[in-house]
Amino acid sequence: MSLPLIDDLKHTPSQRWFKGALAVLPLSIAVIPWGILAGSLALDAGLNPLESQAMSAIVFAGAAQLVAVGMIKAGVGLGSILITTLLITSRHFLYSMAMRPNISPLPLKWRLTLGFLLTDELFAILAAGKQSKDKPQSFDRWYALGVGLSFYLVWNMATLVGIIAGSQIPNLDSWGLDFAIAATFIAIVTPQINRPSILICVLVSLVASVVCELFQVPSGLLIAAIMGMTVGTLYAKATGEKQ
Amino acid sequence: MITLTICLMACIIFLSRYGFLEPRLPITLNAATLRFLSYSAPAVLTAIWGPIVFVSEHELNLNWQNHYLVCAVFAIVLAITTRNTLLTTIVSMMLFFGLRAWYM
Repeated sequence: MSLPLIDDLKHTPSQRWFKGALAVLPLSIAVIPWGILAGSLALDAGLNPLESQAMSAIVFAGAAQLVAVGMIKAGVGLGSILITTLLITSRHFLYSMAMRPNISPLPLKWRLTLGFLLTDELFAILAAGKQSKDKPQSFDRWYALGVGLSFYLVWNMATLVGIIAGSQIPNLDSWGLDFAIAATFIAIVTPQINRPSILICVLVSLVASVVCELFQVPSGLLIAAIMGMTVGTLYAKATGEKQ
Repeated sequence: MITLTICLMACIIFLSRYGFLEPRLPITLNAATLRFLSYSAPAVLTAIWGPIVFVSEHELNLNWQNHYLVCAVFAIVLAITTRNTLLTTIVSMMLFFGLRAWYM
């Protein structure tokens, strides 16, 4: 086993922070319209400006926020909102389990901070770094903080813009900025496909996620991902594939 | 009531993110689990981008006029040939917004 903790010591913490912020920049740009939407929809649902901002500042979970705000507006009870939140957020269990070898040995303040910031985007960028050939298993805490914290700041500034001006910006969700998410994830996943089992995992996950979306299956993302992971693992085991 | 909702949501989400990062949690991930988890990034990320590219308005869209699909194929080719994440992202986004502007 290689060491799970490798900090880049050739560069200063702030250089590593900015490197992380740069790596996540396309995703930060892509999230701006959703942040604006989260702010303006929260106001629309009857939250006051402070509550709307607090939603982004302490909940910090795009999909869960947008769904919860919709439910609050529809007058749905607290229990249903919390169960839905749990379903939407359940993929984070997978992320924290995957990051456990890297983050759990860190001091408490780092664990709490990186845990709080552990979004799809942070996981995506860190997973891309972990797969790099020259530095297998590399993990740099300052780089991770740059990714997570810069993304957090952009999300909250976008929410603020949404609170102030959201209702005046038309058709935000028709701008097609979600393609930026697709482009980034394709760019991260494609180079990782270096074994047949990973290709099979990706194809199963792709087909399953599209089918779940078409039938509007709740938690389709998680179901599709676990199917892909399971089939990929089984294929590797059956063929005796080397890692 | 809204404050309570926000606080409880924050607790659930934080616990889902932090839970397995806590070293005192008495689990050790064995080799088989770690191997299973090594597929999590490609699987989850694909499950996020798949529906964005292939589904529009709740319907499967395999039409070549679907800019998401055309640009996703372009991004895959670019990622294979260049192996450069940032370049692939930026160039395929430029193509996407170029196509959109052209056909608007």
